[in-house]
Amino acid sequence: MERRAAVTANRPMCRFAALVAVLLLCGPRTALAADRLVLVVSANAPVTALNSLEVQKLFLGLTVASNGVDLHPLLNESDEAIRQLFYQDVVSMSEPVYERRLLALTLQQGRTAPPVYRDSRALLNAVAADGHAISYVWASEAARDGRVRILKFLGRE
Amino acid sequence: MMRWTLVVMLASVACVGTAHADDMDGYGHMHGDSHPSSELVLFASLEGHEFSAPASANQLNEDATAIGDAVFAINRGRFRLFGEYQLSDEEHDLERMQVGMEVVPDTVVWLGRFHQPASAWNTEHHHGRYLQTAITRPSIELWEDEQGIIPQHLSGLLVDSRRPLGDDAGLQVSVGAGLGTVVENTGLAEFDLLDPHMYGRRMAYTGRIAYLPDYVGTSNYGLLFARNDMPVHDAQAAVLLHATDVRQDLVGAYADWNGGPWQVHAALYDVAMHLDGPDASRAESFVAGYVQLERQLPHRLTGYAREENSSSAADSIYIQVNHPDFQLRRATMGLRWDFHRRQALTVEVTRGHSVRTDQDAFRMQWSAALP
Repeated sequence: MERRAAVTANRPMCRFAALVAVLLLCGPRTALAADRLVLVVSANAPVTALNSLEVQKLFLGLTVASNGVDLHPLLNESDEAIRQLFYQDVVSMSEPVYERRLLALTLQQGRTAPPVYRDSRALLNAVAADGHAISYVWASEAARDGRVRILKFLGRE
Repeated sequence: MMRWTLVVMLASVACVGTAHADDMDGYGHMHGDSHPSSELVLFASLEGHEFSAPASANQLNEDATAIGDAVFAINRGRFRLFGEYQLSDEEHDLERMQVGMEVVPDTVVWLGRFHQPASAWNTEHHHGRYLQTAITRPSIELWEDEQGIIPQHLSGLLVDSRRPLGDDAGLQVSVGAGLGTVVENTGLAEFDLLDPHMYGRRMAYTGRIAYLPDYVGTSNYGLLFARNDMPVHDAQAAVLLHATDVRQDLVGAYADWNGGPWQVHAALYDVAMHLDGPDASRAESFVAGYVQLERQLPHRLTGYAREENSSSAADSIYIQVNHPDFQLRRATMGLRWDFHRRQALTVEVTRGHSVRTDQDAFRMQWSAALP
């Protein structure tokens, strides 16, 4: 899903846009106004493509192998907006339902839930270090980090 | 024997902990987990209740005032170690202890003590009370050491596989075989890993085949089967049953349908009993099942109603003598409120009829999954 700030030519809106721009520049989420969520893997990862169903299966705890490699999903909870887009666009279910699915996964199949990262830098480090790891970050963050590769844009165009 | 059980468990932990990373498995997949991952979840519940008649000869663990159910899992690549230990003011028991290997994606071979897959309810909810909407479980799904009439724990081998079917659907097949239960005076006794006694136990076989209309969804429909050959260990029970051996053949069908705010859980079991004594044999059969309807409401409320019923169960010697508290018919209604994170309050009323008595019950429960 795109996250665009609505900007028009009229003066109040210009002032509003300028204020938003200043806030964005001052905050940690620089350039997120037009950012999108992307699926990332290590730059050296052998995986080349995943379809939406495979991505959903992966984050629901089912085993997904690509090019003979079992992938490791990592959850990104560094940003509330990312969390909400994940539930909406990746697993297509509400947060409580997803939590119950993960609990059931452990209870029924003895599987551990995907690791949770609350710091995007740590998450990118983990993805870069593990050729089988897969996660999701803002496109701007992925673009700035040469150690990771964008596999897929998530959500609606 | 208990020492050997502990040795096996510790060896299993060591096996998972030292499995080589980045190895190629038998089907050519790389497993790059250089570090094991682990999970510990505590399912906790507190319950208060009021019964119009004494609950039963022994209060069910289901109705214990406080229950803690610790579930742990350790994964390392294709290896899994999994356990479930339950502690309450009624009992404490190592409910499950399994070592598994995922031989191909979504196909796991398990060794240990497991819940038999021919139970529609228990395969879904196990002992995690927070994950089941209702406070009570259907009488036909009760644990065998809690006056249940169908053995639920086996110790042996379980294969659980989920395969894609077409673009979106899937097929789940689970089959298990292992040491089963024996018939005691007050019900059934399963093999206890922490206090193991053979008592002439025999092999039991169980399985299910299920259709998943959506591979990643929660709806599924299936067929169930089990065969339990149970020696009568208790002399008094043998006299009352006129049998030294009880064989139970079960076939069933179930449906778990999740349609957004609506959910339906239904199961029907046909149970054939063969009671073999030194002088004569007797065959009997009965049918039992239930339908539970759930509806999500605003404010994180969920209303539910369940009807349990049976046919010919009241005529069964096995029920009359060994399981007099089995609910021949019961109606249940309840309301659940999910609040905070992973916590719920539930109230439930039931009206049940067993061979022994009629009973109205009111229950209130707090349940949670921690952390």
